[in-house]
Amino acid sequence: MKENPAVEEKKSNPFLRFVKKHKILVIVIIALIAIIVPLVCTVPSKEALVSAIPQEFIELEAKKDSESYQNIGIMSALKMQKQINSADVRQYLVLGVAGQVIDTTGNGFAEFWANFVNWLPSLLNGAKLTILLTISSVAAGLILSVFLALGKMSKIKPIQWFCRGYIFFFRGTPLLMQLYFLWFGLPKLIPAMTIPDRFLAAFIAFTLNSGAYCAENIRAAIQSIDKGQFEAAKALGLSYGQTMWKIIIPQTYRRLIPPTANEFIMVLKDAALTSIIALDDLSRVTNSIMTSTNNVSVYIVSMIIYLVITAVFSKIFGSLEKRFSYE
Amino acid sequence: MSMIKTEKLCKDFGDLKVLKDCSLTVEQGEVVCLIGPSGAGKSTYLRSLNHLETITNGKLWVEDKLLDDRINGVNQIKITPQERQQALLEMGMVFQRFNLFPHLTVLENIMLAPVTVRKRDKAETEELARELLNKVGLIDKADVYPTKLSGGQQQRVAIARALCMQPKMMLFDEPTSALDPELVGEVLQVMKNLAADGMTMIVVTHEMGFAKEVSDRVVFMYQGAILEVNSPDVLFTNPENERTKQFLQSVLNV
Ligand SMILES: Nc1ncnc2c1ncn2[C@@H]1O[C@H](COP(=O)(O)OP(=O)(O)OP(=O)(O)O)[C@@H](O)[C@H]1O
Ligand SMILES: [Mg+2]
Repeated sequence: MKENPAVEEKKSNPFLRFVKKHKILVIVIIALIAIIVPLVCTVPSKEALVSAIPQEFIELEAKKDSESYQNIGIMSALKMQKQINSADVRQYLVLGVAGQVIDTTGNGFAEFWANFVNWLPSLLNGAKLTILLTISSVAAGLILSVFLALGKMSKIKPIQWFCRGYIFFFRGTPLLMQLYFLWFGLPKLIPAMTIPDRFLAAFIAFTLNSGAYCAENIRAAIQSIDKGQFEAAKALGLSYGQTMWKIIIPQTYRRLIPPTANEFIMVLKDAALTSIIALDDLSRVTNSIMTSTNNVSVYIVSMIIYLVITAVFSKIFGSLEKRFSYE
Repeated sequence: MSMIKTEKLCKDFGDLKVLKDCSLTVEQGEVVCLIGPSGAGKSTYLRSLNHLETITNGKLWVEDKLLDDRINGVNQIKITPQERQQALLEMGMVFQRFNLFPHLTVLENIMLAPVTVRKRDKAETEELARELLNKVGLIDKADVYPTKLSGGQQQRVAIARALCMQPKMMLFDEPTSALDPELVGEVLQVMKNLAADGMTMIVVTHEMGFAKEVSDRVVFMYQGAILEVNSPDVLFTNPENERTKQFLQSVLNV
């Protein structure tokens, strides 16, 4: 009885239904609109941009191709770097062309917009690294964690102890410390085990750490499966291994998606820790832009990028969950 | 040749003695129903037969092969896990709560064990699986997931799944107790057909009508012991044991 009005409302208002279903997405979209619309509205006109170009640039470019500087977007910083070498200009070049065009005395959204355009390539590069590190280490961590979880439930004591110890260690110490140890400590202790690449080091540390967390998720998921499933499998003559791989673990997929999505988002944010081994992830890029430009607004841009990534992956995990609900 | 034989089979859960000296022999082609009040140990006895529970004391033969001769849980005979496994494959089991695998379709549920355990050919197994589905009246549900089926349909799939392993005997633990009354009949009908085909069956049931009609012998269990084994005619009309009489009165009156 009570449900009827709600059902009718749902039927009559597909828009509300959409909003309810995709809350995060809607919030992010609104946030993006709120920021981008004023930005777009206040984009300085081409003339304004051109008029702001320092004289030395115009002279230089005019010598070569009178059209190229008219089109701000295609003036590549690299090209200029070859032509001009004064320290003054190199400072401009850090952030690309538009930042050069609008000098820092510009104001309001126009300035922000120009900065946004400037920063975006390097921020996106940082984001790419962050995403790559997160996806690869959570995926590898998941594979590792299946074995850790099964090992922790194993009847063979040494295996059980090893897995218990492993999980205890990696959950009980800071990821930051693990990363320090892997990158700075290990080469001093065992020079042969020096990891050649920063990204690889971060990947290994994050995988080992994420494996420990996911293992506990998997163990909980396995233990939440109805005992009758084990009994039916046993009565059909399936071995323990066959039961696990063919019956039990496939049934944990759906239950594993929410905690894995959680882990994914945690790792995404923990990726900022790789700054300490000088890996240019999104956070480090953000901060270096901030220190070189002294412009706080880069933090906002960076956080929006984080939110977009989080929203997109939440969405993906959400639809995965639906796909695995054997309907 | 007896299909299943137990001699002084005992099962303890810690200090709780759940089965006490249960001796029973089931011949090939026989249908034996186990009845008795709740907590009598019927399920535990059935589960001991296919080693879902490990017995504490006593002997257990399957197809005249001695699998267990236990004293305080320790097996006195040497038998490899493979040998035991091989013997137990001849025993199919159907559970009260169906226990179908929810992530597999009906057909996949049925085909999984024959292909992975018996290493049967996939195409042949599928043919057999469809044949069995036809037999239980669910051929049109082959590609459906179990959650989409009614309880009665799920239980019939579970029976087909057990049968696809081509066992020589079937154990049923209250196969209709979790079903709505109107769905009981369809499952019992499948079991009756199976009995008519000559399958050796041990059935724990509260369906006295079924026990009367189908079984060759009825076993009455009470507080972990087998108190009476008799033909249904005798047991239901003229039981020898006083407890049996009381039990039948209480069920038949309700
Ligand atoms: N795993 C277990 N641990 C401890 N006690 C158990 C266990 N399984 C069963 N028991 C006990 O064994 C006794 C017999 O249980 P069982 O399930 O075999 O009875 P049943 O005859 O099948 O009853 P019902 O008709 O209710 O299914 C009960 O007292 C029960 O509490
Ligand atoms: Mg029972």
